[in-house]
Amino acid sequence: MEKITVIIQHETGLHARPAALLMRLAEKFQSHIELEKKGRSCNAKSIMGILSMGAVKGDELIITADGSDETHAIEAIKELFDKELSA
Amino acid sequence: MFGFLKKNKIMTIIAPMDGEVISLQEVPDAVFSQKMLGDGAAIKPSNGLVVSPCSGKVVQIFDTNHAVGIETSEGAEVLIHIGIDTVELKGKGFQRIAKVGDKVDVGDALIEVDLDYIEAAGKSTITPIIITNMEKVHEISKTAGPCKRGESEILKVEVKA
Repeated sequence: MEKITVIIQHETGLHARPAALLMRLAEKFQSHIELEKKGRSCNAKSIMGILSMGAVKGDELIITADGSDETHAIEAIKELFDKELSA
Repeated sequence: MFGFLKKNKIMTIIAPMDGEVISLQEVPDAVFSQKMLGDGAAIKPSNGLVVSPCSGKVVQIFDTNHAVGIETSEGAEVLIHIGIDTVELKGKGFQRIAKVGDKVDVGDALIEVDLDYIEAAGKSTITPIIITNMEKVHEISKTAGPCKRGESEILKVEVKA
């Protein structure tokens, strides 16, 4: 299992566009990918799951990937948060 | 063991607002027009009351009250996103009526929105209604034209058994 912690920098939080980007990326991997915020978790391959986290700017998210491509998945997700979702 | 007897379920989505149904392709935001969140339709509203388009459970209302997620008993997830880029209004102009966890039926009030305020703030009031878990959807058929909240059928969704 691979894990990273990210702080939401995006102005509107994990809302429609960021949530869609994250879900589409997560879907490309075979690994099971989860988001966790304050002890609540959801499947990163579900839009409604991501939206239900209600993650806003400044929130801390723990993202875990479990499966054969877990390392690639976490690298790609880190890049998404560092680039497209950084402002 | 009787899996082969399972049949897909047909579910209808009723207009959550008064107005005119348009296609998602006409929504001025690529997240919706390119179906990044899923498939569905949109409404150009003429009145600010937003009601449930289906029977189910309210699974998500954003802190800013501009989007509501409902899970139907057939297993489809329906997102009503009131206006475009309205997350930026940080809740102003939106009043919550339902709450997360509520069981709702078609026509039950969810949110009241001040359409004049949204327009004055320079935002579009076009409201997409999206099925977000398209992996469970076999087929979706759509209508267009004038709609009445709680009455007009806007989508017919065949949910996989």
